[in-house]
Amino acid sequence: MLTKLTGGIVYDPANGVNGKQKDIFIKDGRIIKKPGKDARIDKEYNIKGKVVMAGAIDLHTHIGGGKGNIARMLMPENHRIDPVAHTDLTRAGCGHAMPSTFLTGYRYAEMGYTAAFEPAVLPINARQAHMEMGDVPILDKGGYVLMGSDDYLLRMMTANKDQQAINDYVAWTIRAAQGVGIKVVNAGGINAFKFNQRKLDLDEKNSYYNVTPRDILKTLATAVKELGIKHPLHVHGSNLGVPGNIETTLNSIEGVEGLPMHLTHVQFHSYGTEGDFKFSSGAAQIAEAVNKNNNISLDVGQIMFGQTVTASGDNMRQYANHGFASPNKWVCMDIECDAGCGLVPFKYRDQNFVNALQWAIGLEIFLLVDDPWRIFLTTDHPNGAPFTSYPHLIRLLMDKSFRNDMLATLHPEAQKMTTLASIDREYSLEEIAILTRAGAAKITGLVGRGGLADGDFADITVYTENKDREKMFAKPVYVFKDGEMVAKHGKIVKVTWGTTHVVRPEYDKSVEKDLEKYFNRYMTMKVGNFTISDDELTEDGRGSITVHPTVGGKV
Amino acid sequence: MSALTFTLKQRTDQRVDMSPLVCQKLSGMEPAEIAAIELQNGKSKVRVDSLFKISGSDSHNIQFKNSFGKLDFIGKDLTEGSIHVEGDVGAYLGMGMSAGAIDVFGNTDIYAACEMKGGQLVIDGNAGDFLGAAMVGNKQGMKGGVVIVKGSVGDRAGDHMRRGVMLIEGDTGDYCGSRMVAGTIAVLGKTGRFPGYMMSRGTLLLWTQPQLSASFNDCGAHTLAFLPILLNSFKKYNSRFAEVDTFNRVQRFGGDMAEKGLGEILVKI
Repeated sequence: MLTKLTGGIVYDPANGVNGKQKDIFIKDGRIIKKPGKDARIDKEYNIKGKVVMAGAIDLHTHIGGGKGNIARMLMPENHRIDPVAHTDLTRAGCGHAMPSTFLTGYRYAEMGYTAAFEPAVLPINARQAHMEMGDVPILDKGGYVLMGSDDYLLRMMTANKDQQAINDYVAWTIRAAQGVGIKVVNAGGINAFKFNQRKLDLDEKNSYYNVTPRDILKTLATAVKELGIKHPLHVHGSNLGVPGNIETTLNSIEGVEGLPMHLTHVQFHSYGTEGDFKFSSGAAQIAEAVNKNNNISLDVGQIMFGQTVTASGDNMRQYANHGFASPNKWVCMDIECDAGCGLVPFKYRDQNFVNALQWAIGLEIFLLVDDPWRIFLTTDHPNGAPFTSYPHLIRLLMDKSFRNDMLATLHPEAQKMTTLASIDREYSLEEIAILTRAGAAKITGLVGRGGLADGDFADITVYTENKDREKMFAKPVYVFKDGEMVAKHGKIVKVTWGTTHVVRPEYDKSVEKDLEKYFNRYMTMKVGNFTISDDELTEDGRGSITVHPTVGGKV
Repeated sequence: MSALTFTLKQRTDQRVDMSPLVCQKLSGMEPAEIAAIELQNGKSKVRVDSLFKISGSDSHNIQFKNSFGKLDFIGKDLTEGSIHVEGDVGAYLGMGMSAGAIDVFGNTDIYAACEMKGGQLVIDGNAGDFLGAAMVGNKQGMKGGVVIVKGSVGDRAGDHMRRGVMLIEGDTGDYCGSRMVAGTIAVLGKTGRFPGYMMSRGTLLLWTQPQLSASFNDCGAHTLAFLPILLNSFKKYNSRFAEVDTFNRVQRFGGDMAEKGLGEILVKI
């Protein structure tokens, strides 16, 4: 079947197209070259004057893994307020901060998103994470495998194993857990928490393993680079949320010594200690460091006001913040030999000094980082806000007067502590397309996604131009996933199933021998059961796997 | 003007959400309008007049007759008037009511007086589990008003209770007053296991010695001047609590020490 989208204004930064009127032809799920005159067009959509972009990609959103289910169980009241009935096409569900898997897929697709990446897949729980993401309709998905606080790695580092051995272990893990990247959360801190350390600075040693977060970051960043994994080491830094953590973040940037590193939800890691309340914005310093260091990319983790739940593997920081739980209930747990998990419900308030300044810091980072290819639009769903707030966030970025109107309603002391009002920058449509499409596809190493070139997968979103960008981005006119229309005017019209993106770096098979011994001795499952086979992701008949190449490696 | 009376024609297989039929919502409505209100019945909606025979017109004074255990949410968010029920009722009786009166001549299912804020709720029969509790996941249950149960109650009566008075003439199930934040529960009958489990504050006033968990400390025998005042305040109710002999001597147990420990279980000596 040949589909034609006629007359749309195309924003495709991946291929250098910026607001050009262009017809798009779709066949068999791919974008194709303009066919010959005699080709029969089966379906034509007249989208004259409408804005066309590739399907959006969220590179950091917690949509799979045990923490989501714990959040759902923890907050039934948050589900009660947001029930969605089933239709002939879609399934029922509920949940505002942490919606059900099905609603997650529908709501993302209705906003024009076609891929989302779960950033904290604990290897030991990877099976559950993939099963859960397997229940997220329409979207493509993938997971970053969480390492850095696992006892096996720390043992290796304590024993001064060489980088090659660690590379093999990292490669084995990412393959076993079917990941597309490596994530590190509070490097070593989650482990240190188990040895009764309640904070861990970048150069502070784990009291049992004698390893510092700086070592771990460097070791893993090197492994990711040497294995040729395209997505840089995905780093949730140390000291999340601590006033003054700007120092830690800047030191981390220095600490990786030029290796590629992605700093995630940087907003939570950009706090200074100035002012009457000893809490200030470090956005300018972060932006300066990022602008200077080409190896660093970041996503913001913008907060939005309202009720949400923070879900994190960083149980050290979640434990420290549990006093702020609103409503007052929380969960903190250990994940065997791997990491931890902490859930703290949170209500961000615009009349709270700290929350208001957090909001401003996030936006400052967005506006002060120059290169749109290295910054990404996230709220760290659900930690800063549910992903459904993205259209609002886009409007804040694209509309200075709206932004300043919002700022004027916040806590007055917070307004004094931010330079936001003096920043004139407004994001253009092209830049939004880079943040949410081209750049995100590039940095996650996706082949054939995030662009609209001939041969690319036909993940396409069509928006009606509207000065109110929130309205524009909330309900695209058409959303195509792999060439099929899945949403129309912000309503699901067809439910499809996306693929799971993975990478498969090469490694020395002998690594399994020692791992087998380790698993038999310490873990609750055998090493053979730990490894997730392809069949497990595909045997339900709707999942599939897409392997992306490593740098210099073969698929 | 006679009471607005709904007489159930026949029992339904599925549960019925009765929340639209409360005084404040029906006031000023024509009988035909009331008859046309749709109630959720399982997966479908049914008109009021297909379920009930309607008579009378005083919407300030509602009666349900032939009621049975699948009529849920009777008197939900009641703010005025009175509701009188003959027969059993389903779950969530008087949920969130803030004023007015409900009396039930029958038994209730779970979560009667759930998150009730005020008014008076009288149950002539037995009440199910979670009397005056918080909805699942919520942190505060009953926040005010008076609940009188003439029979016995199930487990977890007063779970997360925040304020108000619960008078239970019969026995209670396990975990009576669990996770109580504050408020008063008085029980004439026996209590089950773990009374006051995880209570942080609040008072359980008991006429019989309970089986206490290890995290309650015996604080000795006390003469408490407030007890006669409290007991006298019960005199105005149509309840056995109006007839109990006034006393001021109690054995006091403090707990739950696994929580804040400011709660108390007072047992009549």
